[in-house]
Amino acid sequence: MSDGAKSGIGFQFKVKGPRDFYGGLALIALAIIAILASTELPGQHGFAFGPGTAPRLFAGLLAACGALVALTGLLVEGEPIGHFAVKGPSFVLVGILLFAGMIRGINLEWLHIPVNVPSLGLVISTFFAFMVSILGSSEFRWVESLLAAAGMTAFCVGLFTYLLQLPFQLWPMF
Amino acid sequence: MSELLANLALGFQVAANPFNVGFCLLGALVGTLVGVLPGIGTVATVAMLLPITFGLPPVGALIMLAGIYYGAQYGGSTTSVLVNIPGEATSVITCLDGHQMARQGRAGAALSIAAIGSFFAGCVATVLVAALGGPLTGLALLFGPAEYFSLMVLGLIFAVVLAKGSVLKSIAMVLTGLLLSMVGSDLETGAGRMTFDIAELSDGIGFTNVAMGLFGFAEIIRNLEMSQESRDIVKGKISGLMPTRQDLIDSSGAIARGTILGSILGILPGGGAVVASFAAYTFEKRISKHPERFGRGEIRGVAAPESANNAAAQTSFIPLLTLGIPPNAVMALMVGAMTIHGIVPGPQVMTKQPELFWGMIASMWLGNLMLIIINLPLVGVWVSLLRVPYRLLYPSIIVFCCIGIYSINNSPTDVVIAAIFGLFGYWLVKHDFEPAPLVLAFVLGPLMEENLRRAMLIARGDATVFVTRPISAGLIAISTFLLVLAMLPMIRKRREEVFVE
Repeated sequence: MSDGAKSGIGFQFKVKGPRDFYGGLALIALAIIAILASTELPGQHGFAFGPGTAPRLFAGLLAACGALVALTGLLVEGEPIGHFAVKGPSFVLVGILLFAGMIRGINLEWLHIPVNVPSLGLVISTFFAFMVSILGSSEFRWVESLLAAAGMTAFCVGLFTYLLQLPFQLWPMF
Repeated sequence: MSELLANLALGFQVAANPFNVGFCLLGALVGTLVGVLPGIGTVATVAMLLPITFGLPPVGALIMLAGIYYGAQYGGSTTSVLVNIPGEATSVITCLDGHQMARQGRAGAALSIAAIGSFFAGCVATVLVAALGGPLTGLALLFGPAEYFSLMVLGLIFAVVLAKGSVLKSIAMVLTGLLLSMVGSDLETGAGRMTFDIAELSDGIGFTNVAMGLFGFAEIIRNLEMSQESRDIVKGKISGLMPTRQDLIDSSGAIARGTILGSILGILPGGGAVVASFAAYTFEKRISKHPERFGRGEIRGVAAPESANNAAAQTSFIPLLTLGIPPNAVMALMVGAMTIHGIVPGPQVMTKQPELFWGMIASMWLGNLMLIIINLPLVGVWVSLLRVPYRLLYPSIIVFCCIGIYSINNSPTDVVIAAIFGLFGYWLVKHDFEPAPLVLAFVLGPLMEENLRRAMLIARGDATVFVTRPISAGLIAISTFLLVLAMLPMIRKRREEVFVE
């Protein structure tokens, strides 16, 4: 069940079902990562499973399954890979990540990335996350969006901090 | 019987507490809202609202979360009938005949039959949960680790068989879910597994993050892709909310059959409301004397799936409350909610916290009653909500999800993990992989591994224990049978047909 050989064939002949073929390959990759990540865990010890037994077992099965999926994609006529949109998902993801980075601040200098954001609190994080993710829409309008962002921020602050009394830091802390 | 009545009396006493009635109403309303709005599902909502229930008493919290789940089944039908977009995955099939009825000016009849069917199903399911709770709890005592493991295998196989698309790919998703569930500290030795030395992963990947990513963020990303064509909302006042006598006679059989089918599919692990509605519609069409009427505004095509999804939403509480096994993603979140309040789901809930168990069951009936009362007159309000454009709705959902995830552990990393799963979910959809089996496997993973290890230890490393103990052997036999059945080419074609419809 070596996937290398199969992808070799794939480059010579036309892959009939790319959706399945590359999907299967990605699963194999995931399984290999899992196996590599759990090699150092102790395995079966007497009758008892070790911590590494189950991850390796399931990763092995996943690799086999992925290989079968890829093989199907290679041999059986299937659909092409659908078009991946870039704009919408990017803005949404950046919006979410901005929220994560701003709510308590983030310092990436240990990764040699000159980013050091102080803790900006709920109000600013919510507003920015809303504004950035709404930019992903094809029907974006400035005034409407700013109003909606302000409204949503007010609603969330009201709900989470005043009504539910969850301990949120509201404003930036330097 | 008298014991059952006494228990139900206790339940109604708890449920009738003004606070609990309030929570029930709130849950039902939020559920309806979520059900009406397309692009936000029950799983994401329950995940989002988990932090809100932190401060509530446990009974109130669970009553509210349950209300959201079955409330969404009511709300979903409204959008399906009026806009021809399913408000909820469980109402996809209702679009077919429901919207046709609306076009013929019978929107009122379609909505009221859907509500009446749901109410009837809800009542039956409530009684069923109450009646089956006791005996199944007794059954749970016969279960050892081997039986639990086999039961969960059966649940996962059900999820595979009932998922749409290729069986092989669904199995791959189950394995991916199991693998992901193993990230974090080992249960027995505490060794960090597949954590890549990231401190935040040592506790494992939180289920809410996975659920929110795969069902919240991924869904939004995917919706953004589609052109936001103007919604074809049925214009004009919806009149004649009362169904005619003939409508009631026509649909009574369908409601009864839908309820039975839905109840059964709800109890089975891996099933749930989505499958139930599809199955009920297909079944109804097959036994009908006039199958050609389906898709052209046949009232039975609305009654059956809507009864089935509501019945299934409620009976899916049975495995959770009696065996402690969540049969679907929403129930898995209920486990999370129970754990937050220090309740371990399983047979002991009924004996140790009878007021919680019976209170929740009684509240289900109460909730259904409220839904039928509030829903029909409020149709106008829900419809006006549908006019909120998606471009404003989706950033609100995103922000709400972010705050929700963050507030569970005050951890920004959780938000990042959810974002990663959002992207992963988008990729899965593009490659025709179903996220539902993955999520169920992710939830059952730790339980499964624990029971597998325990069973193997007790059997002194003898793997045949799963087929030599009778109950376990029976469960494994059913699983194998189902899997073989699903793999057979003939059945496979049938399955595809069902899902294409």
